[in-house]
Amino acid sequence: MTRKTTQYVERFSVVQRFIHLLVILSFLTLAVTGMALKFAMEGWAQWIALSSGGFVVLGALHRFCAVVTFFYFFLTLILLYEKWHESGKSLLGFIFDPEGLMPNLNDLKEMVGTVKWFFGGPKPSYGRWTYWEKFDFIAVFWGVAVIGTSGLFLWFPEQFSRFFPGYWINIATIIHSDEALLAAGFIFTIHFYNTHLRPDKFPLDPVIFVGSITVEELKHERPREYAQLVASGRLEKMVTKRAPVAWLRRMATIFGLFVVSTGSVLIVAIVVAMIKHFSPH
Amino acid sequence: MNAFKNLPASKSSTPTCRDLSSLAATQSRNRDAVGKPVWRPRACSVADMKYLPWLLLVLCLLCPGQVAALTNDDCLGCHGDPELSVTRQGKTISLFVDEEVYKHTVHAENGCVSCHVEAEVDGDEHPSRLASVKCYECHEEADAVYQQSAHGAGALLECGSFVPVCKDCHSTHAIFPSGDKRSTTYPLNLPSTCSKCHRQGAKASEKCHIAENNMPDNYVMSIHGKGLYEDGLVVTAVCTSCHRHHDIQRASVATSSVNRENVLETCNQCHVGIVAKFRKSVHSPLVTKTDKRLPVCVDCHSSHTISRVSQKDFRLTIGEQCGNCHERHTETYFETYHGRASMLWGGEKTAKCSDCHGSHDIMPASDPSSKINSANIVETCAKCHPNSNPSFATYLPHATHGARDKEKYPYLYYTFMAMTGLLVGTFSFFGIHTLMWIPRGIIERLNSMARKRKHRGAGERRE
Repeated sequence: MTRKTTQYVERFSVVQRFIHLLVILSFLTLAVTGMALKFAMEGWAQWIALSSGGFVVLGALHRFCAVVTFFYFFLTLILLYEKWHESGKSLLGFIFDPEGLMPNLNDLKEMVGTVKWFFGGPKPSYGRWTYWEKFDFIAVFWGVAVIGTSGLFLWFPEQFSRFFPGYWINIATIIHSDEALLAAGFIFTIHFYNTHLRPDKFPLDPVIFVGSITVEELKHERPREYAQLVASGRLEKMVTKRAPVAWLRRMATIFGLFVVSTGSVLIVAIVVAMIKHFSPH
Repeated sequence: MNAFKNLPASKSSTPTCRDLSSLAATQSRNRDAVGKPVWRPRACSVADMKYLPWLLLVLCLLCPGQVAALTNDDCLGCHGDPELSVTRQGKTISLFVDEEVYKHTVHAENGCVSCHVEAEVDGDEHPSRLASVKCYECHEEADAVYQQSAHGAGALLECGSFVPVCKDCHSTHAIFPSGDKRSTTYPLNLPSTCSKCHRQGAKASEKCHIAENNMPDNYVMSIHGKGLYEDGLVVTAVCTSCHRHHDIQRASVATSSVNRENVLETCNQCHVGIVAKFRKSVHSPLVTKTDKRLPVCVDCHSSHTISRVSQKDFRLTIGEQCGNCHERHTETYFETYHGRASMLWGGEKTAKCSDCHGSHDIMPASDPSSKINSANIVETCAKCHPNSNPSFATYLPHATHGARDKEKYPYLYYTFMAMTGLLVGTFSFFGIHTLMWIPRGIIERLNSMARKRKHRGAGERRE
């Protein structure tokens, strides 16, 4: 058997990786500081407040990370705008690009195929984005919009209430709090499992930090994308023999595992608190 | 303490006789060659004063049986010795009386034997153990009050023989007016006088079942205690200011100064302005006629642990204090931002009940003077939210989304239900999806491991 040199393709650009790093750092901080307030009656929440210097510090961190969130939200919009320009497609054509991030009929088919695969059927031939990855992206998009708007309402209640009745502050609290619970719960369980903790990736898929995967992996995990890249001749241009540098891989593993375990611990604490009180808020 | 300031004259005629005999007796007679006092029990037998027999005869006729009265100097002949002591039941008890102290006390003019009557005997020595001093013989009024107090009859009933008597509070020979810094009842000394018995492990808690709950320490830490000890503020409340002294009673006794019914009046001794405000508030029985228990000062401020209201500890307990009666309102408060944040470190900064509702001047929202009346609410919110406006002030600080308040706040209830639906839906879908994935993932992993092993095994065979 002849040994081939391992070849790599870039899956995430530097800017995309940077955005994900911002998402991780801000989201984790927002979740920890926000949940400490939401579950203030819990010992762990009080410990967080005490060790960080009080709820005022938590509030300041929370607002700072909110600004970071708005920043990466608009950065993503700019990137999408650029991508649209490069693609030369109409706006609707870009948004509903079959290989784009918008869910479509094919995703539904793949989902049915995936469920069949769970029970022994053939594995669907995934493209650049699987349906659960599309959901992750849309969910963050939706989440930032909803949590962000309600959060701004709570940040500037006096100003917002000039245009809306005061009880909207109560409504904003419910929406902000529950949507955050949804986001944290989803990221720290479903996203973590689907992306990192599933048996074939356990304990971590470092691609979002190191950027590239091997061509073998691409062929195995995303056969449709591989086929498309081969057919269009783009794969040859993309392929590189340069493996991700060792220190980056090491950093990615340490940082990634830290985040995954922190999120997991937080979600356990939240679930325990909710079982105890059975009344989120 | 008036009883001590205007000490009534001794009712016995002894002092007169004794004073006269003291005049007759010279210092030298009671001192030996080196000036040391000697035991001379019969001071009135003045054999060396030949020029006064007639006077003595008259005196002795005037004071039958008292001729042999002892002078204080006679007593101090022995009791002036700092070493003088007696051992009783294994305990060494000093019998020393410090003349330097005694001569400045309220009893300085009284002779030893006016209290220790049994010491006046004809023999060389008085009985080795004298009966307890009967203070009541002079201090009749104080005694009558004391007998009816928790320390008198009350203690006798509940604590057996462990009854505090005069000397336990006033000391024995070092009795000064309560305004005197040396007095055991001087404000700066009083708390330690009382806490001799009133602290955990001491008589009051051991023998009389009074739960002291760290009382002395709490008092020292309290605003009254700090005033006293940190600033030397002697007009601050000390034990007797609230509990009174000779007429001290348990709080359960209707006439007690610390009984619920009388607390307001007791605090009113100093806090006149606050009590006047309180009497006009919804918490006053003068305003609210109800069968329910209305709060008095100690319900919110506590007693021995009372602290400055601006202090963190106090602010953090307000919610719970009010919650003792206003349970539902406290519950809902703790569900809002104000309440949640107040549970965290630094939480004293967020709005507490009294910040919106007021404290001593608290009134129902319907009253025009209420802080949460629509006429005043914007201003009340503006204390913390400078940009407060009428719309902002319609925020519902006690609203919940619970089913219990469905009728009251339907929009909150349905918002919450919609959000819950979204959460339950999303988590159910992806939860099931993930649960189905796990076994498949494990199978695939095992398969690929087996493939690799086989591959490696084949490679080894080929080699």
